Amino acid sequence: MKARTVNTTQIDKLAETDLEEIRNERVTFERTPDMPSEHMILNFGPQHPATHGTLHIVLELDGEKVVGATPHLGYLHTGFEKLGEYRSYNQFVTLTDRMNYLSPLSNNIGYSHAVEKLMDIEITPRCRNIRVALAELSRLADHLLCVGTAALDIGAFTAFLYGFRAREVLYDLFEAVCGTRLTTSYTRVGGLLRDVPDNFAEMARESVEETLTAASEIDRLLTHNRIWRDRTEGVGVLSAEDAVAWGATGPVLRASGVDWDIRKNEPYLGYEGYDFDIPIGRNGDAYDRYLVRMEEIRQSAEIVRQAVENMPSGPVNAEEEHAVLPEKSEVYESMESLIYHFKMTMEGHGPTPPVGEVYAATEAPNGELGFFIVSDGSREPYRIRVRPPSFINFSLFPMLIKGHMLSDVVAILGSLNVIAGELDR
Amino acid sequence: MENQEERQTEGVDPQEPDQGEVTARIRARFVDASVRRGNAVGCESVIAELDSLHPFMTFLRDDPELAFDYLVDVTAVDRLKLDEAIRYAVVYQLYSYKFNRRFSVSVPVPEADPRIESVVSVWPGANWLEREVYDMYGIVFDGHPDLRRILMPDDFGSHPLRKDYPLHGKGERDNFVF
Amino acid sequence: MGLEDQLQENVMTTKVDAMVGWARKNSLWPMPFGTACCAIELMATLASRFDLARFGAEAIRFSPRQSDLLIVSGRVSIKMMPVLKTIYDQMPEPKWVVSMGACASSGGVFNTYTLVQGVDQYIPVDVYIPGCPPRPENVIQALMKIQEKVAQAKAN
Repeated sequence: MKARTVNTTQIDKLAETDLEEIRNERVTFERTPDMPSEHMILNFGPQHPATHGTLHIVLELDGEKVVGATPHLGYLHTGFEKLGEYRSYNQFVTLTDRMNYLSPLSNNIGYSHAVEKLMDIEITPRCRNIRVALAELSRLADHLLCVGTAALDIGAFTAFLYGFRAREVLYDLFEAVCGTRLTTSYTRVGGLLRDVPDNFAEMARESVEETLTAASEIDRLLTHNRIWRDRTEGVGVLSAEDAVAWGATGPVLRASGVDWDIRKNEPYLGYEGYDFDIPIGRNGDAYDRYLVRMEEIRQSAEIVRQAVENMPSGPVNAEEEHAVLPEKSEVYESMESLIYHFKMTMEGHGPTPPVGEVYAATEAPNGELGFFIVSDGSREPYRIRVRPPSFINFSLFPMLIKGHMLSDVVAILGSLNVIAGELDR
Repeated sequence: MENQEERQTEGVDPQEPDQGEVTARIRARFVDASVRRGNAVGCESVIAELDSLHPFMTFLRDDPELAFDYLVDVTAVDRLKLDEAIRYAVVYQLYSYKFNRRFSVSVPVPEADPRIESVVSVWPGANWLEREVYDMYGIVFDGHPDLRRILMPDDFGSHPLRKDYPLHGKGERDNFVF
Repeated sequence: MGLEDQLQENVMTTKVDAMVGWARKNSLWPMPFGTACCAIELMATLASRFDLARFGAEAIRFSPRQSDLLIVSGRVSIKMMPVLKTIYDQMPEPKWVVSMGACASSGGVFNTYTLVQGVDQYIPVDVYIPGCPPRPENVIQALMKIQEKVAQAKAN
């Protein structure tokens, strides 16, 4: 895979010689060849702290070495795709939050982007900037929690608390914008629920500051920490070829050295106008995935700053009376607006895309989040399919764990950042 | 089945004006196959009715002018309530890193014997995606190394995303034993 | 009482039930059965801003054998329900159950083929928390409700 003309940030690492020294210190134990042995089957999950509740992996062990792993999913299967066929286009936004509860706004934005592509709606510049800022803020929140829980599962509790302190500030911002901490449901087809509050820029700056502080604290705690490096370096190595063949995306793909990010390669929401870098890793191990996430936090913070600084004024909703609710003040005054308002909100009514199908992808914190929508010209999608990044990334797990120790299971799981809601849908 | 033939004859039109670059290349290679233009918005797409899927997909991956090395998604659509002769369609979303291009292939699968060739040997990432389609629609992927249900319990009797399966289920959620 | 006069202020007399209830309610060991969004809010409740340690319930145990408070936070599918039931059965008595959020309590917005419409069909629930997801303050209030209940329980 050849890197294209995209700026990349090189990730600093400890001098390789230091590492060699550390590795040489270790004593390796060879097994007596004629010792009789048999494989042990170990159930990992579904209620194991590191599976975050809903994964089940059957591990085949030779001593402490994993020789095979069979994941079982579906413990959180909720029927999103079926339910989507019975909900109007705007109602489905509510469900997208609950699919990815670490960064719900990314899902809101990805979904609305797909419907807008299908209906050929151009959103307003202000809406675009707000969406970019919020998508990146939710990327910050996602990466903080991902790094925090990955460290927590390995045994470093503090990083998790640092991450959550910053997340609380982000939650405050989401609450001010959307009215709720977690299940935001902020986007609408062709626009947003409402404009951001007046002090949005200030709050965004504050939460970016807080996130960067937390990131540098986590950085100081983990990046050169010998235990952390021992547990993650060389663990779960994914080659660039495998990453492409298996369809890995997001930090998992980039940690393997593939320079690909939808924000750069197929810009949407005006990402081409932002100045940011795509970090890529070198070794494709769990440590590189951590480093890529940490660097993405800094890059996303930069994007948020730019989006907020260049925030255009104007309306947040596109002028598409067949898809977007009219201004409330107009509903009180004009007959047409009142009619459109009713046509948008009454049961069985709402945005109605033309017959056709669309696949639209956005770069969610975990990779390519795609929505495939088939419209039969009615008020509900005929078929709505989510291309979940976690699902594809997690399918790499049996390959990554093979030959590693039992304790590396949690390290690899943490580095893949499996979000069960999205995995099982 | 009469409808099916009718549909095929009306669909095949190699002189379609908006035939894209990818479609043209496919048609040049698979002359006999029925490759119609799909109705995807924003990217080129085809509806392909083929004798054998495997050479087709391998061609899409290996042809230097196409190089679709990344299988984005495999899913299916149950077209029971649409005006389509063939009930299911398996939809592949492809992406080429080399050309930064997306492409979508839709392959109709008849209701009577819902089978299609697996593409796991072309893109290993298809493994779980095909299992999910099998679980949700009951479409069998020939040549899949490990075709089991993936999301629903193993003893679940139905394929829930089929259009004739009710949203609230057939009582599975109320009548299960521990 | 004559006894208290003799012991003066060094010893307090009370009933065993009250004493045990007081001790139990201030050292609940929760078992978080976190599956979905609510689990993230539960994490937030445990983290620094809301700090469940103030209520003596920060000793999270992922082993049902070591815990006395089951917090079901998130959606429970028909595939997951047997697991939940097993975990509930494995917890030693006395035990209490909090059903956190709309999904665990009633299925929430997901009236679909795969979701159990309320875990109370299969395990007894002491406190329900409404919300999708509930805020950490709601979780804390639920914990206080549980504490009230624990304090009144018989010590057998």
